[in-house]
Amino acid sequence: MSHHLFLLSPSDTPLYSLTHQSTKPVPSVTSPLASNLPTWSTSAFAGTLTALSGASSATQHTSSGAVRVGGGQDRHVIQMIANAGLDVIEDVMRKETAMYLKSVDKFNEWTISAFITPGNTKFVLLHEGKNDDGIRSFFMDVWELYVKTMLNPFHTAHSAIRSSVFDNRVRASARKYL
Amino acid sequence: MAYAQPHPRLSVVSNSSQSSVDHLSPTTTSTRFSLPSAPSIHAAVPSKTATNRPSIYDRNLNKTRGAEVSAASFAFLFSEIVQYTQKRVSGINDLERQLNTLGYRVGTRVLELMMWRAEGSSKAPKREIKLLSVLMMVHTQVWKAVFGKPADAIERSVENPDEYMIIDNNPPIERHISVPRDMSQLSCSSFTAGIVEAVLDGLSFPARVTAHNTPNSQYSNRTTILIKLENQF
Repeated sequence: MSHHLFLLSPSDTPLYSLTHQSTKPVPSVTSPLASNLPTWSTSAFAGTLTALSGASSATQHTSSGAVRVGGGQDRHVIQMIANAGLDVIEDVMRKETAMYLKSVDKFNEWTISAFITPGNTKFVLLHEGKNDDGIRSFFMDVWELYVKTMLNPFHTAHSAIRSSVFDNRVRASARKYL
Repeated sequence: MAYAQPHPRLSVVSNSSQSSVDHLSPTTTSTRFSLPSAPSIHAAVPSKTATNRPSIYDRNLNKTRGAEVSAASFAFLFSEIVQYTQKRVSGINDLERQLNTLGYRVGTRVLELMMWRAEGSSKAPKREIKLLSVLMMVHTQVWKAVFGKPADAIERSVENPDEYMIIDNNPPIERHISVPRDMSQLSCSSFTAGIVEAVLDGLSFPARVTAHNTPNSQYSNRTTILIKLENQF
């Protein structure tokens, strides 16, 4: 089960993103970093179509002969789903006072949860399955880390977060709660 | 070198040395700016202790919650800020705008930190989405966080319904400032106006915020922060 986290600035520019393979349902070692990196499809459209059609379990042979799981594993599809969720998030955040908006949108197997900081930065998380409390704790951790990043005078609301310490802490929190 | 790989995560994969990762950490961002003094600071510190230096991520955000800054050192710093800015602008409007910009940078941080301290331990953290409660929050909580006391009044303009005024009878940042007669238009509270603008912007109530001297017989430093909302709510 994988999770995808995106941090977006008030003007919706991406600040940070993370892909996390959860170990919760099947206890196993977290997959190495290399496998978390985007798996660029050699035939981009095939992957997109598989994902959009909702065939999450279909396996697909790429031209290199490797077998991989289609459906939502493609980076660009994930980004598209997250961006599509933004419209719903912006609608909901005008009416709801809560910072943590759980399950605001659904797309095929993906559920989108979001967290809006007071400064209007959005944390968007794509996840499968239900884990409200874990996600809330995770968002609270990320918020604290984000506030600390903000306090750095060299950081602006629109600059990407490249700190390796931030990255490690978010990963540690993801391992703990997701 | 390090910027060929903008993502620290990628550079970890390539198993490169620790130093290339360090380049991207916030503690060494000074390398991006050509401050002449910055390299010498780092050179003085042995490389081992540099990596062990506690980062901002290790600090507890509530540690300095009740801490206060010495008014004297703030007055000194603020006077330097005004002088520095004045040398680089042409005219009072420009100066006020620059102070507003500086205040804006402070305001984005004030908002985020203040709300984290208020809501960070709560089970269901809340944002303000109503204009009046946002204005009340600026009047009390923001003023308390920044100046240690709530503002003296908040009013709605009679002529223009989209204008609100926050009044401070004796703003702490102007306590040691006397504006020359030929610049009587200038209000150094433009800095405060910038803070207010950032808070309103963050909570998605974009507004143009300006500061004006409105002395009365009792308070010669009385200042009005004028909030002109960009949209009608």
